[in-house]
Amino acid sequence: MRFMSLVTGTAIALAGLSSAFAQDTLKMGVIGPMTGPGAQWGLAAAGGVQIAAKEVNDKGGLKVGDKTYRIEVVPYDEQYKASVAISAMQRLVNQDGIKFVFGPVSSAGTLAVMDISRDTKTIGITGAYSSKALDPSNPYMFRVYSVASDFAEPMVKWLKKNVPTATRVAIVNPNDETGWDSDKLLTELYKKYGYMVVAKELYERSVRDYIPILTKILAEKPDLLDVGTAPPASAGLIVRQARELGYKGHIVKIGGSGPRQIIEAAGKDAAEGVINYIPADEQNPAYQRLAADFKTMTGNEMNPLLVNWYDGAYILMAAIQAAGTVTDTDKVRQAFAKALPRKSVLGGTIELGGKNLYGIDNAFLTTNYIGVIKHGDVVAVGTAD
Amino acid sequence: MLALTLQIVLNGLTTGLVYVLMALGFTLIFGIMRVVNFAHGELYMVGAFAVTVLSGKLSWPYVPAAVCSVILVGVLGSLLERFLFRRVIGNEFNCMILALAVSICLQSLGLIIFGPDEIGAPRPVTGVFHFGSGVIPADRVFVGVMAILLLVAFYFFLNKTHFGLMMRAVAQDPEVAALHGIRPKRVHTAAFAIGSLLAGAAGALMAPIYTVFPYMGELPMMKAFIVVVLGGLGSLSGAVVGGLLLGIVESGFATMLGSTAAALVAFAVVVATITIRPEGLMGRRS
Repeated sequence: MRFMSLVTGTAIALAGLSSAFAQDTLKMGVIGPMTGPGAQWGLAAAGGVQIAAKEVNDKGGLKVGDKTYRIEVVPYDEQYKASVAISAMQRLVNQDGIKFVFGPVSSAGTLAVMDISRDTKTIGITGAYSSKALDPSNPYMFRVYSVASDFAEPMVKWLKKNVPTATRVAIVNPNDETGWDSDKLLTELYKKYGYMVVAKELYERSVRDYIPILTKILAEKPDLLDVGTAPPASAGLIVRQARELGYKGHIVKIGGSGPRQIIEAAGKDAAEGVINYIPADEQNPAYQRLAADFKTMTGNEMNPLLVNWYDGAYILMAAIQAAGTVTDTDKVRQAFAKALPRKSVLGGTIELGGKNLYGIDNAFLTTNYIGVIKHGDVVAVGTAD
Repeated sequence: MLALTLQIVLNGLTTGLVYVLMALGFTLIFGIMRVVNFAHGELYMVGAFAVTVLSGKLSWPYVPAAVCSVILVGVLGSLLERFLFRRVIGNEFNCMILALAVSICLQSLGLIIFGPDEIGAPRPVTGVFHFGSGVIPADRVFVGVMAILLLVAFYFFLNKTHFGLMMRAVAQDPEVAALHGIRPKRVHTAAFAIGSLLAGAAGALMAPIYTVFPYMGELPMMKAFIVVVLGGLGSLSGAVVGGLLLGIVESGFATMLGSTAAALVAFAVVVATITIRPEGLMGRRS
């Protein structure tokens, strides 16, 4: 009997000791398209946050005040659908009790969860391209990277200078919030810089055969085809099918990045010369380290946008540390102004801004590059800032 | 305008021929076994992945890779019939639920094995053909020619061979066919294998043209469904007419009014067909 009491007492004492040393867990959600068209963007979001979380955990955790937290990442697939994004957000907030969410990645998803984010004071760090994703009415929603409204004008300026022969532009975008926004922005910008917009087409995301819409577009004889915010694999098919129909003009993508997937879908020859917005210089050693980490983790090639999500995770953690709390999201959102500016893993500076465009300083302004596909590789030829 | 019309018709015919291949397998399985096979799109996906692995990763020449892929999907189809569908044949509702479950399982397996990224398959044919003022990519001509060859082979098999006669007999009346010494279960397995084989062939042919990913079967499955409703569920000639008609109508509307309008028109045609002629263009009134 005495022996049993001794064992029980020791067990209780050890349990108490271990709980005293146990780390608290800080959960962070990710909402992005993990399947279907655009999956590269969702996987980049989840991958960037997971790599950053692993690095912090490997170094002992995130110290906030006098506590140290182990970061746990909870990713959900939004399938590029607003209704699925809402379900994911509700699950993260109500069931998982999460106060910090990376995503949604899609514009439609982000606009759909804006009210939930504001009403529950959940910090969202979106990847949405829509200008409506940042709004003074919801100070809890931030954006992880510069978007078309930030880099499109410098890119059009670059095209005007470096591709002076092009004058007739055709624009192709998906038929949803992201595409409508891109269509409006690009049309205004091309017109502003003296181009003639000869054709504009919106397509359904499930479509894989673009030959009918390209037939109509190419009948207008454009010499510059902008594939806007088409997901990279879809953009690759548009590029290939346009070339097959005999299009010899320039092709540019001022929108969601993914030159590697464009090459995969279009083939090296058809993709030659495509001008892309790219968020990162692939030759940078830090980029290559992240690409290797992502390959080890998932077995897939890394999308360049992962760099922004990786940086975004560190920015959020810096803001939480500056606020000294993991529960008071009002303090955390105000602390972003202290966390930024800071250096990106690639070396450029990330700043907080956006008030002039969106009425609120909730955009992480990142360095943007212009890349050209050459011999199956992506070469950075300038910056779009 | 003439050039645009020619281009629309050429685009529509090549797309329509692939719809026909998909719909033929789908309607064959329904016609003989009364199974609405919702996993048909996933058999298309398996064919596409198989040819991508064999010709891409293992560097096989395209033709043997495609032949092996098609056979593989045919074998998969016969196994599905033998071990799963045979148990529920006769109960259309259970067959439908089982087909949905198989569809989800195959999609998930594709996701686990290959991941969500869209990958490209090596292209056996490149370049373009000029038909007057119209342009058509050579790989689509290749697909069109292969689809026509498969259709002709399928027609001869069904109408000029003893086994084809047995299949038609079972489709008309399995009990009377059994009285004549035909074993309906054997015919069912063969029909499921051939139907799957046609879906696998469509997948293997289209893999080099589009990208390959686990959810790629959803859209062709939907098109096959539209085609068989249009042509008449269970009618093989209806699948041919419906497929070509849908391809050309879609091509016309997508070119003139955009892809959203084309999708809308396709479903409007289905609604109109079900309302005005429920048995479809070539189907028999039951």
